Amino acid sequence: MVMRGRGRRAASTGAIVASIVIIIIIIAGVAAYYYHGKAAKTTTTSPTATATGTPTGATSKTQTTSSTPAKTSTSPATSPAATTAKGKGVVVIGVTDKITDLDPANAYDFFTWEVLSNVMSGLVKYDPDTGKIVGDLATSWEVKDNGKVWIFHLRHDARFADGTPCTAQNVVWSIERVMRIKGDPSWLVTQFVQNVTALDKYTVKFVLKTPASYFLALVATPPYFPVSPHYPPDKIASDATWGGCGPYMIAKWVRDEVLVLKPNPYYYGPKPKNTEVVIKFYSSSEALRAALESGDIDIAWRTLNPDDIKAFQHMPGYKVIEVPGLFIRYVVIKVDAPPTNNKLVRQALAAAVNRPEIAELVYHGTVEPLYSLVPKGLWSHIDAFKKYGDGNIQLARKLLQEAGYSETHKLHVVLWYTPTHYGSTEAQLAAVLKQEWEKTGMIEVTVRSSEWAQFVNQLRSGQFMLSLLGWYPDYLDPDDYLTPFLMSTANGWTGTGYKNATVDKLLQEAEVLTNQTARAQIYVKVQQILAEDVPYIPLVQGKLYLVTSSKVVSLKVSPLMFLIYSSIQVQS
Amino acid sequence: MAGLARYIAIRALLIIPTILILYTVVFIILRVIPGNPVEAVLGTHYVPPEVIKEEMHRLGLDKPLYVQYFDYLWRVLHGDFGESMVVRGRPIAADLKYRIPATIELITAGFLVSVLLGIGTGTLAAVKRGSRLDYAMRIYGIATYTLFIPWVGTLLILLFSVHLHWLPAGGRLSASVSLHRITGIYTLDALITGNWAAFADALKHLVLPAFTLGLVLSGPYTRLVRTNLSDVLQSDFIRMYRSRGLPEGKVLRYALRNALIPVVTYMGLQIAILMGGAVLTETTFSWPGLGSYLYQRISMRDYMAIQGTIVVFAFIVGIVSLLVDITYALIDPRIRY
Repeated sequence: MVMRGRGRRAASTGAIVASIVIIIIIIAGVAAYYYHGKAAKTTTTSPTATATGTPTGATSKTQTTSSTPAKTSTSPATSPAATTAKGKGVVVIGVTDKITDLDPANAYDFFTWEVLSNVMSGLVKYDPDTGKIVGDLATSWEVKDNGKVWIFHLRHDARFADGTPCTAQNVVWSIERVMRIKGDPSWLVTQFVQNVTALDKYTVKFVLKTPASYFLALVATPPYFPVSPHYPPDKIASDATWGGCGPYMIAKWVRDEVLVLKPNPYYYGPKPKNTEVVIKFYSSSEALRAALESGDIDIAWRTLNPDDIKAFQHMPGYKVIEVPGLFIRYVVIKVDAPPTNNKLVRQALAAAVNRPEIAELVYHGTVEPLYSLVPKGLWSHIDAFKKYGDGNIQLARKLLQEAGYSETHKLHVVLWYTPTHYGSTEAQLAAVLKQEWEKTGMIEVTVRSSEWAQFVNQLRSGQFMLSLLGWYPDYLDPDDYLTPFLMSTANGWTGTGYKNATVDKLLQEAEVLTNQTARAQIYVKVQQILAEDVPYIPLVQGKLYLVTSSKVVSLKVSPLMFLIYSSIQVQS
Repeated sequence: MAGLARYIAIRALLIIPTILILYTVVFIILRVIPGNPVEAVLGTHYVPPEVIKEEMHRLGLDKPLYVQYFDYLWRVLHGDFGESMVVRGRPIAADLKYRIPATIELITAGFLVSVLLGIGTGTLAAVKRGSRLDYAMRIYGIATYTLFIPWVGTLLILLFSVHLHWLPAGGRLSASVSLHRITGIYTLDALITGNWAAFADALKHLVLPAFTLGLVLSGPYTRLVRTNLSDVLQSDFIRMYRSRGLPEGKVLRYALRNALIPVVTYMGLQIAILMGGAVLTETTFSWPGLGSYLYQRISMRDYMAIQGTIVVFAFIVGIVSLLVDITYALIDPRIRY
C-alpha cells in the first residue's frame, strides 16, 4: 500500500502545500488591508484631529435641494461615504440597467439613452427647470412650408472630445448614418424625415415626409444626435467610446462592469459640477441597495424596490429624491375575442379597479393613480377614467349584469403579468387586481405569468385576454402616448386588436397640426373615446426615485427622467 | 508511453461528443421555449413590423432550424462564435474572452475555500469521532450542502458590506483602482504588475463570492474526509506508528495523506458543480463572469451568447476532467485503456 501510494501522495501533497500557501497569502493580504484601512479611517473621522481633519468631515449636515424628509446622519463615523472612491468630485452611480449599444443608431432603451444624452448633445434639448424645449447645438430654428421644412442654425463653438469641431456636416452625416443602418430606433427618423442636408457649415435643413407637429421632441432624441466622425459609417459600434459633443467623454468602458465619464474639455456649455462620473452595474435591486448601504456607490439610480425606497426614507444619512414620472402602467384588453370584446365587460373591469389602493398596497405610495394614457403633467391630459370611479363595485356589477353575468354565471378572465421586467412587485400587482375584480362577486380571475421574452412573444401575437404592461415615451408628446396604443396601424404590438376609424382619423389630424391648442382639443376627444371603449385600463403613473448618500449635495433630472450627470455636485 | 498517448487521445476525443450533446440540448430548448431575441429586445416599443422582419432575417432566424443548427456548428469549428443577437455587432468571442478569466478566478478561489473548509471540518470530525464536535461537523457537511447560494450570499453582504463596511457588495474591482489587464484574472494581474493596491482591492472583492461558493460546496469534502480518515486512523499501519510512539500530530499527517486520495478524485468531479454554482454566485455578487452573462442573456434570448457560453462551459469541464484522468494515468499505472 505504501509503495503504490507514493506517486499519488506526492501529487496530493504538492497540491495541498500549494493551496495552503495561497490561502496564507490571501489571509495575510486581507489582514494587512484591514489594518491599513482601519488606521486610515480612524485618523479622518476622529473628532479631535485638528490639523488633518477637514471641516466638512465632522459636520455632515448637507444643504439639499430635494424636498424629502431626509434626516441628517447621527455620527460621521457611520456615514458610508467614508469608504467610497477616493478623489475629489467623483460621483459613483449604481444601476441595475444595462447599456445596450453606445451608438445612437441602435440604442433604444431608457438607460442607454440617458448615458448618450450625457456624452452627446442634440440640436435641441429639454430645459430641466422649465420642461420646455430649448436650443442646444442649435441656437435658433425656422419652420417653413407649413411644418414640412425645418432649418436649424448651429452654434460655432461645439467640439467633440478630441477637439474636432462639430458642424452641420456632422449632424447630417450622423442622422443619415442612423437612416442607413436601420437599427431599432431608426424609425424615429425614417418615419418622419425625407432628407436632411447641410446648407452651410452651421445650417441644417430637414425636409419631412409629412408635417409633424412634435418634430422638435423627436429631434431631442439620441437618433438625431451628431456622433464623432470616428464611428463607422454603416456599422453599429456597440462599444464605441468616441461619443459626441456633449458635456462628458467616455474615459473607460468595461461592459456590464463600469463606465467612467470625464468632462469633455471642449464642451461649449457650463463645466460639470463634478470631476468624474462612475457608473457601476449591478445584477439586482437587492445588490444595488447593498452597494449604497456599504458605501460602494453614492447614488442608487434605476431601480430600487419600493420597499427599499421606503426603508431609505427612514434611514439617517440618505436622501430620497423623487422624480416626477412619465412612466405609465396599464392593463391591455383584447377587444377582438370574447368575453372582453363586449364593451360592457371592459367598462366593468375599469370600474372595479381601485387605483389609490394599488398605489398604496403594491407601491407604498411611490406611484400616483392614473386616469388616462396621457400622464398627468403633460399637456392635454384629462382624467378620462374618473367617470368610472375607483373600486366602484356597484357600477361594475350593474354593467356586468347588463352584459349577462351574475353571481352564478360568472365572468372568467385571465390576467397575465411578467415577474421581473417591471420589478419584483408585479406578482403583487396582479394579485391586488384579481382581488379588486373578484370583489364584484361576478368575476373570476385566473392569474398567469411568463418571463419577459416569452411574455412579449405572447403579447405581440395577441394571446393575452388581459395583460399588465408599462410604457416609457420615445419622445415627449401626447402623440407618443396615444398613437402607438390607439392607432389601428400602429398598435399591433400590444395585441389588443383595437380599431376605431374615428380615433385613427383624429390622431392623423393632430399629427400635422402645428397649433398646440387645436391639437390638445383633439387629444382630449381621443382620451374620451379611450375611456368609453376601454381597450386599455390606465392604472398608475410611475415616479422614479434616486437615493443618494449624504455626500451628494445637489442634482437635476431632465423632463425625460434622465439624470443630468453634469448637475451632480458632491462634497469634497 | 504509446499506451498513454493513446489513452490521452481517446479521452480528449471524448470531449467532442460531450460538447455536441450539450449544444444540441441547448439548441433545442432555446427554440422550443417561446420568445426570440428580436422581440425580447424591442419589448414593448412600437416598432414597424418590417423592422422586426428584417431583423429576424439579418440574424438568420428565418432560416430552417437544421440550417441554423449546422451553421452554428460550422462556425464554432472555425473558432467563430458569431455575433450577439441583442447587442448588435458585438462578437460573442469578445464577451467570452473577457468573462472567462473572471469565472476562472472565482471558481479557483471557491474551489480552494471548499477544499480547505472541507478538509478542516472533516479532519476535526474524524479525530474527535463520536464526540459532539463530530456531530456538529457532520451536520455542517449536510447543512452547507443544502444552502442556497443567493441566500447565503445576501446574508454575507448584509453582514460584511452593509453593517460592517468591510467588504464591497459586488463587482470585481473598484472604479478608482486601475489595473493593467494581462490575464484577466485580476488578483494575478495585480501580482504580476506588483500593483499592491489593486491586489488588495481585487482580493476584497473576491472574498465574499469565493467564500459563499466554497462554503456551499465544502459539505461533500467534509463527509468524504471524515469517512476516509476514520478508516485510515483505524488501519494497521497507523496502529504501528502509534505503537512506535510517533507523536499524534505526525501520525495524523501520515493518515491524512492516505485519506486524501479519494478527495482528489472528487475534486475532479466537482468542476461541473462549481460551474453551476458560479452562475448563482456571480448573479448574487454582480460578478461579471460567464455565469452572470449566461443568466442575463437567457432572459434576452441571445441564442448566440447562450450557445457560446454552454460550449465554453462544456469545454472547461471536459478539459479539467481530461487533466484529472491524465493525472491518474500518470500516478496509477493500472489505469490504461
